[in-house]
Amino acid sequence: MKKMSIAERLGTVSYVNQGLSEAKPHILVETDICNTKCDHKCTTYVCPANCYTLDEIGHVHFQFEDCIECGTCMYACDKGAVSWSYPDPERGRGVKWNFG
Amino acid sequence: MDDKFDCIIVGGGIAGLSAALTLARSNMKFLLVERGEFSGAKNVSGGVLWGSRLADLVPDYWQEEAGFERYVRHRRLTFLDDQSAFSIDFKSDHFNEQPYKGLIVLRSKFDNWLAGKVEEAIAESSYPEDSFIATNILVDTIIMESGRAVGIRTGEEEFHADVVIIAEGVNNLLTRQVGLQDNYVPADYMATGVKEIIRFDQNVLEDRFQLDGNSGLTNEFIGFASDGVEGGGFLYTNKDSVSIGLVLNLKSMRENLSQDRKVYDILSHFKSHSAVKDMLRGGEVVEYSAHVVSTGDQRALPRELYTDGVLLAGESANLLLNSGKAIQGMDYAMESGILAAETVAEAKAKGDFSKNTLKEYRKKLDDSYVMKDLRNFQSAVQFLHSHEMFTSVPKVVNEFGRSFFTVDNKPTPKTPAMLKDAVSKHSSLWNMIKLGIKGARSL
Repeated sequence: MKKMSIAERLGTVSYVNQGLSEAKPHILVETDICNTKCDHKCTTYVCPANCYTLDEIGHVHFQFEDCIECGTCMYACDKGAVSWSYPDPERGRGVKWNFG
Repeated sequence: MDDKFDCIIVGGGIAGLSAALTLARSNMKFLLVERGEFSGAKNVSGGVLWGSRLADLVPDYWQEEAGFERYVRHRRLTFLDDQSAFSIDFKSDHFNEQPYKGLIVLRSKFDNWLAGKVEEAIAESSYPEDSFIATNILVDTIIMESGRAVGIRTGEEEFHADVVIIAEGVNNLLTRQVGLQDNYVPADYMATGVKEIIRFDQNVLEDRFQLDGNSGLTNEFIGFASDGVEGGGFLYTNKDSVSIGLVLNLKSMRENLSQDRKVYDILSHFKSHSAVKDMLRGGEVVEYSAHVVSTGDQRALPRELYTDGVLLAGESANLLLNSGKAIQGMDYAMESGILAAETVAEAKAKGDFSKNTLKEYRKKLDDSYVMKDLRNFQSAVQFLHSHEMFTSVPKVVNEFGRSFFTVDNKPTPKTPAMLKDAVSKHSSLWNMIKLGIKGARSL
C-alpha cells in the first residue's frame, strides 16, 4: 500500500455543516502561551488531524476545521493553552463517522 | 413533552443506550440526548465488544441482521521486530457457541443498531409517548439546585429529571463540571487511538484471514508497531474491511514524537512492516479516525462515580482495562450503563434520589466484574506499560524465533542456549527474570 499523507487521510473523513461559511470554533487555543511558555509545543506533533502546525519561525498555529474531536490536545497540552469543547451541532464543524 | 423525566441520559453510546434499554424495560420515563446526527456518528473504538452481556439486552441478537461485523473466533498476539513477527495464535470452535464472547464492531453502525432496539423497547413500554431519544443536541450544563443535579441545559432549553446519567464518553466535560473529576486531566494515564478502515473484496478478506461465515480475527501487536512509544497495535476483521490502528500513551507521545515523527507517521510505520503489509495488500483506506481512550490505570478514575442526582457510566468514568488479554471498554460501558439504570429504577421505587440511594450504584459496580477486574489487574496494567514490554521483549522473542525456526547445514545449538543468546543480545538475563516475575504475578 502506498504511504498516505495526512491530507489524504483526512480526505476520507466526513464532516458535518461543510457548507457553512463561518462555522463556530469549538476549540480555542491561546497560541501566545504556546509561543512564550511552552518548550515542547507537542500539539504540533500529537494531534492526529494536524490542526496544530509550526511556521518557519517556530510559532504555533491552530485551525479547527479539520478537527476530528478526538480530545488529544486537551490532555497533551499541560500549559493551559487549550480550551476544549464539543462542536455545536448546528453552527459548528465536527465529524460524522461512516464506520467509527 | 412532560415537565419532568424520571431520568435523563447524556450520550447515546454503548453506556447510554444500555442504560436506556434497561430503563425502558423498567417502565421509566427518560430522555436520552445524543450530540451526533445519530447514535454512533461521533463514536470510535478499536473495537471489540467483549463478553456476552449483549445477549441479555437483545436476546438472540445473532439470529437477525445485527449491528456487529464478526464474532471473535480466532485470536492472535504478535511480537514484532524490524523484520520478523512471532505470534501466539489461538483459534477454537468453542468461540462458535452462542452467545458469542466477543464481537467486532464499527460504532457508527453498531450504536445506531442498538439505538433502534431502544426505540423498540420504548414503543413496547408503558410510556411509549413519554420517553425519547433526541439527536443533534449538545448538553451545555447540568443544572444544579442546592447541590443536586435536577436536569440539563442545552442552548435556551432546559429539561428536568430526578436523576441524570452522564454517559458522555472519555472527554468527560460534564463529569468535570459537576466536580467528579479535575478540570484538567493530565496525559499520564490517557492514550490516543489512531485507526484506519481498510476495505477489501469480501472473498479476498475471508480467504486471506481464513474466516468462515461471520467468524473474525483479532490480532494485537507489540514492538515495531509503536516504534518506541508506549503502546501497541491492533487489527480486527470486519465484514469486508479491517480496522487497523495503534493505541499510544499520550505522555509517551509527548516525550518521544517530534515534528519529523508525528502520531500518524507511527501508523504508517506500523503498516510498513512486511508481515502487516502482507495482510493489507490490495486494500483501500476508506476512513481514518482517532480518539482518546483511558489506559486502564486506576489513577485516572474520577473521585467518585455518583453524586447527588448524578451517575457516571462507561468511559465518562474512565472505565477501561487493558490487562494484556483484551482491551475492555465497551463491555464495561454496557455493564455500568445497565447497573446505573437499575439503580435509578430502584431509587424511583423508593422515591429517593439522594446520594444515599445512588451510592448503591457504586456498590453494584464494586461487586461486579468491572471493578473487581479493574482492581485485580492494576499490576498487569503497569506490567504492560513497562518500557521493556514494547522495546526489548519483542526483540528478544523474535531473535529467539529466528534461531529456533532457522534450519541450516551446521550444528544446531540447544534451545536454552538460543534463548540465552537472544536475551543477552537485547537485554539482560536479570532484567528478563525481573520482568518474568512481575508478569507472572500480575496476570
